[in-house]
Amino acid sequence: METPADITWRGYSLAERDWRWQRVRENAAKAGFDCVLVPLCVDGRNLHLSLEQSRGSRSDCRFLTQLENAAVILPTDGRKPIVISDEESGNDWVPEFRPVEGSWGKTMAQALIDAGMDRARIGVSGIRRGFYTHGRAFHGVVNHSSYVEVLRGVPNATFENATEVVGYARYVKSEEQIECLRRGAAIAAAGIEKMIELARPGMDEGILYSRVMQRMVSLGSEYYPMAFYSGLYGGARLPRFEDPTEGRFLQPMYRIANEVDAVFGGLIAQEQQPILLGPIPDAWKPAIEAQRDLYFAGLEHLTPGKPFADFMDFVNGFGEKRGLKSLMLMHGRGYGDDGPLFTPQNRGARNRDVLIEKGNVFIVKPIVSSEDGSFDTSWGGCVLVTDKGGEPLIKRTPGMVSIT
Amino acid sequence: MPWTTPPGAGATVFIWSGYSLAERDRRWRAVRENAGKAGFDCILVPLGNGVDGRYMTQLRCSAMALPVDGRAPIIIADRRSSNAWVPEPWQTGREWAEPMREALRDLGMERARIGVVGLKGGLATHCSSIDGVVNYTALAQVMNELPNATFDNATDVVGLVRYMKSEEEIGFVRRSAAVAAVGLDELINLARPGVDVGVLYADVTARLLEQRSEYYPLTLTLDPIGTLKPRHYTNPPIGKRLESNALITNEVNAISGAQLTQVCQPILLGKIPEEWKPVIELQKEVYEAGLAMIKPGTTFAALTDFVNTFGPKRKMKTVIQMHGCGYGDDGPVFTAKSQGNQVRDLRIEEGNTFVWKPMAMSADGRIRFALGGPVLVTGKRTEALFTRSHGMVSIC
Repeated sequence: METPADITWRGYSLAERDWRWQRVRENAAKAGFDCVLVPLCVDGRNLHLSLEQSRGSRSDCRFLTQLENAAVILPTDGRKPIVISDEESGNDWVPEFRPVEGSWGKTMAQALIDAGMDRARIGVSGIRRGFYTHGRAFHGVVNHSSYVEVLRGVPNATFENATEVVGYARYVKSEEQIECLRRGAAIAAAGIEKMIELARPGMDEGILYSRVMQRMVSLGSEYYPMAFYSGLYGGARLPRFEDPTEGRFLQPMYRIANEVDAVFGGLIAQEQQPILLGPIPDAWKPAIEAQRDLYFAGLEHLTPGKPFADFMDFVNGFGEKRGLKSLMLMHGRGYGDDGPLFTPQNRGARNRDVLIEKGNVFIVKPIVSSEDGSFDTSWGGCVLVTDKGGEPLIKRTPGMVSIT
Repeated sequence: MPWTTPPGAGATVFIWSGYSLAERDRRWRAVRENAGKAGFDCILVPLGNGVDGRYMTQLRCSAMALPVDGRAPIIIADRRSSNAWVPEPWQTGREWAEPMREALRDLGMERARIGVVGLKGGLATHCSSIDGVVNYTALAQVMNELPNATFDNATDVVGLVRYMKSEEEIGFVRRSAAVAAVGLDELINLARPGVDVGVLYADVTARLLEQRSEYYPLTLTLDPIGTLKPRHYTNPPIGKRLESNALITNEVNAISGAQLTQVCQPILLGKIPEEWKPVIELQKEVYEAGLAMIKPGTTFAALTDFVNTFGPKRKMKTVIQMHGCGYGDDGPVFTAKSQGNQVRDLRIEEGNTFVWKPMAMSADGRIRFALGGPVLVTGKRTEALFTRSHGMVSIC
């Protein structure tokens, strides 16, 4: 793969910007909003419910402006948005923006008034969790003090939740976004290759972590912490780390699980690869094979127009036919905290009626476990929904890597 | 009624939590004292204020209700997390408003005056977040459901405790500064014309991680020397190789023991132009003279005025640039744009740690030079933890 200096991609086009803005406007109009407000959101260092959620905290403003921190007022009638930011300078999409004067709340309120929204119906994105975005943040991501000031400053307007208005626009990816996710997936796979190259008994886990991150950043990924689990398998859950550890060394028969993410063009791709530092026990093989078969069978079922209920039932019922158990584990890919979210904990029941659409990109990583639950495995990667079903963004082989 | 582990708890994430129980008790006691002086019955560190949550609990994600009267706090955590400081927190999944409300009720705060930490930016913490860091929907729900309680901003109640570092914390500030210096050394070792800047960024980041720093973005500028508004990169740049005569300004950050520090020293891929030398020399003078003023009792007004009038006496300009070290967004913050008018009366105290990096400029502002790193205020003197030789690094 090229290193960053030789990458020719120079950012999203203005057509991409206009496509995003137009999708949001259309969704807002359907919902009866006069404008959409993406308000100041809490930064991800402070609102950190998970890696995904923290990255997703300010994801709506990144989606609409490519600025790291901004508030956006997008009128539904086609006028240009008003963007407020504390960044040093603008970019190709938003060359000029309003600076923050006094406080974000005051500046946002004034901008709404300037946009003629003093008696409008205003849709606020990020005020609560959504189906397509901010799914992990039950209470949304909006900053308290500034939003209260907006409510006070524009007392005759009505404010309602509009997380889905922006969320649904984010749900379907454009060709430009898909190409960035494809590169991100390839970078994540390169990170996994580095892990397989270095993971040996005696290896300092902190150094291993550093080398994998170095590999991905050196290929142009933004830094996105790898989730790293290691330990002898059996009974208890493996501990999860998101920073380089101290004093931990890999041992024979250690199992390594991971979520290896790369961010390119602002979009998070993820690949996942279980590793065992030893020969794979025969007792594990049926579940590993079933997980591979489930992954490929699942791709065939990942077709546009199908509700997630059908897909969930297929995945969750797959293992039983082989005397095993299977569970759906997947979620959207994008600017962060993309949905719908299906985990063993939440089972994704609230998402059953959400439809799969062409141009969706998911991390698909179903879990298969032995009947008694003593062993489980998950392998996965980024999948694009096409007319013919799910298409992995990069080709990898499902299974567990054995390092002997 | 304690909340117990819900089914949707997710995998526990382990983060560094190595401070002693004595350190915990020091922090909680000091916060209680500040809260009592401010007339609060209780302090609430709510959802959204993750940095103060970490300071008070060593958990990655938590909320806390701390009564001023000395009773034990109620701490809410997620993902089954706990540690030596907080062995049995209330556990939640993704629902935070209800346990926060219940915690306040359990503590009898229905009619109390509750100090909310992080509601607004403070003097010494959350300095860049003028509107604070609190989650709207969760706090609004708590306030609606406790209509007889009053909720006021209490950012400085915790902030002014964070402002003063203990011996334990200072030990980690020292280590963090040493790690950041290793990162800067790596940058100096590797920066050469033709180098892919994205790879350089990755290599310096990896060097910091190898030293077991938590991640914090490295900031670089790369444009030719003399560029008036160089672009700042906080991610690996795409399509960039270093060129001769590039001026690499940098902020190399490290986190050890949760203490964020920073070092910075400009690097020039070429010979230092003659016209830059007086500015660099002026920065050395103001750095050292200012350092001598950073001692207990000095107000920030005095330090600011001293630095900002230092340059004109030499027919150039100098501007104070500094901020606190600590858990993140520590203050007081002085930048070229923000001169800290709200903290002019605040005094420097023993146990403060700052990143000290005053800027010197030519009279027309075209040439700008800043260098510096962490300093530690002790009883008698201020110790600079940045020990590289002063000057611009020239790589020819």
